Amino acid sequence: MPMTRTPNMVGAESQVRHSLPGQAHAATLGMWIFLVTETLFVGALFAAYLLVRTVHPQGFILGSRETDIVLGSINTAVLLTSSLAMALAVDRLRADMAGAAARWMVATALLGLVFLGIKGVEYLLDWQHGLVPGPHFRPGGDQAPGMELFFFLYFLMTGVHALHLFIGIALVAIFAVMLRHGRFGAGLSAPVENLGLYWHFVDVVWIFLFPLLYLVHRT
Amino acid sequence: MNGSSARRLVGVWVLLMLLLALTVGTAFLPLGVGNTLLNLLIAAVKASLVVAFYMHLRTAGTPLPLVASTGLLWLLLLVVLTLADALTRPSLSAPW
Amino acid sequence: MTAAPSYLSGIRRLRDWLLTRDHKRIALLYLVSITVFFFIGALAIALVRLELFTPQDDLLTAETYNKAFSVHGIIMVWFFLIPSIPATLGNFLIPLMIGARDLAFPRLNLLSWYIYTLGGAFTLYAVLAGGVDTGWTFYTPYSSFFSNTHVFAAAAGVFVVGFSSILTGLNIVVTVHTMRTRGMHWFRLPLFVWALYATSAILLLATPVLAMTLVLMAAERLFAVGIFDPVLGGDPLLFQHLFWFYSHPAVYIMILPAMGVASEVITCFSRNPIFGYRMMAYAILAIALISFMVWGHHMFVSGQSMYAGMVFSLLSFLVAIPSAVKVFNWTATLYRGEIHFDAPMIYALGFVGLFLIGGLTGLFLAALALDVHLTDTYFVVSHFHYIMVGGSVMAYIGGIHFWWPKMTGRHYPEFWARFAAILMFFGFNLTFFPQYILGYLGMPRRVHEYAPEFSVLNVLSSAGASLLAVAYVLPLFYLAWSLRKGRHASANPWRATGLEWRTSSPPPPLNFGEQLPEVSEGPYAYDPDPKHGRR
Repeated sequence: MPMTRTPNMVGAESQVRHSLPGQAHAATLGMWIFLVTETLFVGALFAAYLLVRTVHPQGFILGSRETDIVLGSINTAVLLTSSLAMALAVDRLRADMAGAAARWMVATALLGLVFLGIKGVEYLLDWQHGLVPGPHFRPGGDQAPGMELFFFLYFLMTGVHALHLFIGIALVAIFAVMLRHGRFGAGLSAPVENLGLYWHFVDVVWIFLFPLLYLVHRT
Repeated sequence: MNGSSARRLVGVWVLLMLLLALTVGTAFLPLGVGNTLLNLLIAAVKASLVVAFYMHLRTAGTPLPLVASTGLLWLLLLVVLTLADALTRPSLSAPW
Repeated sequence: MTAAPSYLSGIRRLRDWLLTRDHKRIALLYLVSITVFFFIGALAIALVRLELFTPQDDLLTAETYNKAFSVHGIIMVWFFLIPSIPATLGNFLIPLMIGARDLAFPRLNLLSWYIYTLGGAFTLYAVLAGGVDTGWTFYTPYSSFFSNTHVFAAAAGVFVVGFSSILTGLNIVVTVHTMRTRGMHWFRLPLFVWALYATSAILLLATPVLAMTLVLMAAERLFAVGIFDPVLGGDPLLFQHLFWFYSHPAVYIMILPAMGVASEVITCFSRNPIFGYRMMAYAILAIALISFMVWGHHMFVSGQSMYAGMVFSLLSFLVAIPSAVKVFNWTATLYRGEIHFDAPMIYALGFVGLFLIGGLTGLFLAALALDVHLTDTYFVVSHFHYIMVGGSVMAYIGGIHFWWPKMTGRHYPEFWARFAAILMFFGFNLTFFPQYILGYLGMPRRVHEYAPEFSVLNVLSSAGASLLAVAYVLPLFYLAWSLRKGRHASANPWRATGLEWRTSSPPPPLNFGEQLPEVSEGPYAYDPDPKHGRR
């Protein structure tokens, strides 16, 4: 190991760790730990949702019925498919097929954009139907407070989710470009794999959001 | 090796789609609280599939499954103890 | 003496500090930052104790008083105590203690400091723009609806600095898992490393919940939908549950590292291995685990369900057990030791005694029936200051002294250090013991005027605070003095065990020479005196 090293030498990480696989292992552990923090981050919203729902069961039912189950279901399918695309990208990369991997990543990002597009349409429709909490909230009656709280959580939870998805799309797109320019090979696939972990996590959050927001006692 | 790993990923996707159909379909059956429980169960299965097969937790080395379970466990702790308060509070309505 | 480069050599420009990836330099960046914030927080409470010198509200208006104690709490908790040991001593020492050349993610480490600074900027803005008066606890609906102060900016500052904590915790956990040197098995790690590992786990699991809680509070403030407002169908207790889910474990973030320091110092200055090493490690883990199950003890009188209250009360008693184990084991470590009362040891012994008192009063508060009377009184204030100040701050300062020769290559002047330590111990007790009595007699907290019968005790407390102030300022002077004039330190001036003492003082940039050290025995292998027959 070279001894002459100024403290600000580039690539410090590769200097301080002993091997490439060691670095990949550390990065993956780091990503999983980050995902645990994200679990608690969105988990706080799930806890809030559950508490408010026990207090306003009827308001949540009425609120949920106002969500668009068709668009929501389509979006869920889109996101699950994007997860498949991302998983296939990582699979191709592990097999050293960088070109195929990049293409699957582009597909992932595009599906993510479709999700955001549909979400945008839903938000627009919600606004038009007077479902946005605040002075323009239209539903009345004695369940209105519960319904308004439902939609407050709906917008907050799907909004936070959409923000995370947007960041994911941007990173997937950037990594796809880097991949096309030969940046990652089979030996250096860890960053892409870790990005995949992030993407799948965003998917898992939606897997729970969907029934809690769209499928509350639809009958 | 190449094709079979991809096939497995697609197989998982098919399962996920089926489970999605199931959860949406059963939402229209009048099962009362059973709807929510069923939906959450199906969601848990879908999530487990994604975590195990797409996130490779099934084949991951030692600390990773422990790390992942810790996150889940802690979330459960937050939810359970908070609900324990909310569900056992007496209902005291305001006089007005 | 050959002029081998240390991590402090070659510093010519500001960018050698601001763009460094060396964990040791980043530790010093943090040291400077948190010291600045400590004194800002101290200034705030100086105003409070000055006001409380007399029963009347003759110095500050009620609003300003509320802002003073709020700023004190926010700054001391988030910008001093939480980062204190982890980001300074932890950053500096963990790679050295495990035989590594840096942390796992050096760039994230630097980013963490920048995020801390950004959060600090938001908070300072909030203070300078007029302050915040919600208390550090930001209780709703006051914070989310009624307060007319800079709640948003203060919450933003805390939100941002939380990410600094998370990154530090992430770095420490990955480092300890993946970068231990050959032979450094888990049960050969110094207890300081165990303590910081557990602290990091808490940082990672609790802080995100706080972040989202602040988001909810801010959203409520912006949109007034009523999630925390009972009139609009919301629940103020939702905020409290989410807030304390973080904030209770947060106090263990503040005490566990201090316990780690205590184990290192007490073993060194009694020349004994730690009594019950494995139990100490398990106790650390148990404290971290149970800390997440007791938060409702902050809510006994909030309207929380009585049954939940009983559960939280029982669990709160439980967390005292591993804490007690640690106190017993530190004491047992002293037994038949060769005790040296150097400054770090005075701090460490003071820590044990004051933590003990604070911890015992925690048991009083964990008892539901007592808490009904003691909550929101000065009893609580004294309880947590005994632990956080008598405990954590003393251990932190003791740690700074213990590792000062290692970090700077210089010795501090021992006389002044001992003087400051003893002054701090006496000043602390004079400040806070009267507050136990005040609380027991019924004086509420967070009030700027009080009934005249509480006068004498308040005067004593304020007098103690001025002694404390001197004791805190003294180290600034003599530590700074030592940087230029202090006696040069050898690699291991305390004859301590631990890998950090096997390299020069200060260490070279890559911590060790060509070869990383290897470990073949457990920690604290202090040679017992064969005359006493202690194994």
